[in-house]
Amino acid sequence: MIGRLYVQAVPTADLNRNTDWFTYPGVWTTYILILFFCWLLVLSVFNCTPGMAWTVVNLCHFVVTYHFFHWKKGTPFADDQGIYNGLTWWEQIDDGKQLTRNRKFLTVVPLVLYLIASHTTDYQHPMLFFNTVAVLVLVVAKFPNMHKVRIFGINGDQ
Amino acid sequence: MIKIPYLAALTTLFSYGLLFVFGQLRDFFRKIFDCWSHSKLQGYAPICLGLEDFYIRRLYLRIQDCFNRPISSPPDAWFDVVERVSNDNNKTLKRTTKVSRCLNLGSYNYLGFAAADEYCTPRVIESLKRFSPSTCSTRVDGGTTTLHTELEESVANFVGKPAAVVFGMGYVTNSAILPVLIGKGGLIISDSLNHNSIVNGARGSGATVRVFQHNTPYHLEKVLREQIAEGQPRTQRPWKKIIVVVEGIYSMEGELCKLPEIVAICKKSKAYVYLDEAHSVGAVGKTGRGVCELLGVDTADVDIMMGTFTKSFGSCGGYIAGSKELIKYLKYTCPAHVYATSISPPAAQQIISSIKVILGEDGSSRGAQKLARIRENCNFFRSELQKMGFEVLGDNDSPVMPIMLYNPSKIPAFSRECLKRNVAVVTVAFPATPLLLARARICISAAHTKEDLIKALEVISRVGDLVGIKYFPAEPKKQQLEESRVKFE
Repeated sequence: MIGRLYVQAVPTADLNRNTDWFTYPGVWTTYILILFFCWLLVLSVFNCTPGMAWTVVNLCHFVVTYHFFHWKKGTPFADDQGIYNGLTWWEQIDDGKQLTRNRKFLTVVPLVLYLIASHTTDYQHPMLFFNTVAVLVLVVAKFPNMHKVRIFGINGDQ
Repeated sequence: MIKIPYLAALTTLFSYGLLFVFGQLRDFFRKIFDCWSHSKLQGYAPICLGLEDFYIRRLYLRIQDCFNRPISSPPDAWFDVVERVSNDNNKTLKRTTKVSRCLNLGSYNYLGFAAADEYCTPRVIESLKRFSPSTCSTRVDGGTTTLHTELEESVANFVGKPAAVVFGMGYVTNSAILPVLIGKGGLIISDSLNHNSIVNGARGSGATVRVFQHNTPYHLEKVLREQIAEGQPRTQRPWKKIIVVVEGIYSMEGELCKLPEIVAICKKSKAYVYLDEAHSVGAVGKTGRGVCELLGVDTADVDIMMGTFTKSFGSCGGYIAGSKELIKYLKYTCPAHVYATSISPPAAQQIISSIKVILGEDGSSRGAQKLARIRENCNFFRSELQKMGFEVLGDNDSPVMPIMLYNPSKIPAFSRECLKRNVAVVTVAFPATPLLLARARICISAAHTKEDLIKALEVISRVGDLVGIKYFPAEPKKQQLEESRVKFE
């Protein structure tokens, strides 16, 4: 039955091939499903409590999304002649417009992960500290005021 | 409108995510190994910044054998594909001396002029002997022969405009003309799926570029009204000039442009219309004159008509057709006319002869037969593919038909399985198409016979079952319907 469910692919007006895939249907569901399967994987490999597994998923999610959304700049192909070379992926999506639906979704995901991780570990100490640091850094990096801001010149253009 | 099965969208995103993760892991380990090895170019800046060629190194090179296949015969309905082998898992490919005879479903050979033609080829050889392969000069210096003037008149007459100018290369026609027509202070509104040559020309012109949603006239109207109301970016002054750029047939979608609505909107806002008929001139329309004839638009309403000779005429080069004053202006200012070598004389003669065949001026009805055959072929092929359950894009009467594949692993699977069965198809993926929408693009030609098409349908159906791309339910064949009716009684 699910094999016969169709969605319309509305062609976007986003010219940046690095970010236009995020406007197509199915992206949000895939993101959430990947996080859920990573949790199952961590549980089965490490044989730990569910809370520890959510903490591990939260911290890995922090490292991976910080690196790819807020650290790496430019696009992985040379067709656009480098016009996005000074912008991180987060600054490129939706053509730089702030507070769109996609951006709001991506801001809510680390918050929800934080709530799940801290709830399932019963707010115990070393895990709570790391989870809080992770969510604070990620949410601050996604504020509209932080668009194109490089603190102390870290990760700025040469 | 493309209808993606939801499961296909999820699996495609997941596959690309997995490929991306593996590519990043390999890059990470490569960086560690490279720290140890000593580089000869210490102190020099790296040529690539490390992220720019990620897609080519980690995704494209894995399936490199599906692209850039060399051929060793003219691209007729059947041609010879040179086989290649790789010893290091597709990082480098070596040509062998073996060739395989394959059915050609990838060349833009719409009217069948790509191979030797009984009218065109003798005349081309004669002009080769008379004028030599190259004029060795620009048009302005010494490169305008009688063939060039005859060609420009012939093209202008064919397209339905007062005058035309011809260039040696199709890509250059777009990218060198747009900077001349419009500059800083002007506005270019182009369709979101326009060809790379138009994008390059628009960027090089210095004008502001705005994009409207593909083939959506009401969005074009919205963008036009917004831009006219706002004016130039910082000064809010009115725009010096507005040009709307659309294509006749979009090569990746196979769709026809909604030209009547777009021309009506542009007339209302007094914007110029630039129509790129690269794929439609010579292939659609009752006498082959392109989308204007097919959709009933008066050619006087389209201000600049551009086209290329590589697709339907079997030659090379591009043209711009417009009013006499426009063409005179272009001949003084366009760098492709003033500084680039003129079109090769045998190529020009091929175009003149093929236009004569299409119009029936060679004394036979082969032109009308070719046009009828390509229309029959493409309508037959498209309806058969849709009956089998493939998702085929494009309008009726358009000789370009993309078959949707979606998953990145189905691209090499489809391509290699078809090649094993001696059918050569072209597959297109990211970044030429959006990430989720990889496709195999089939170009039908008037040179394909009914048997060729039936063989192609069998092979594609078989490979489609193997690879799993029949996303829509197939229509049951008539025999099965009658059997079920008999059983019921």
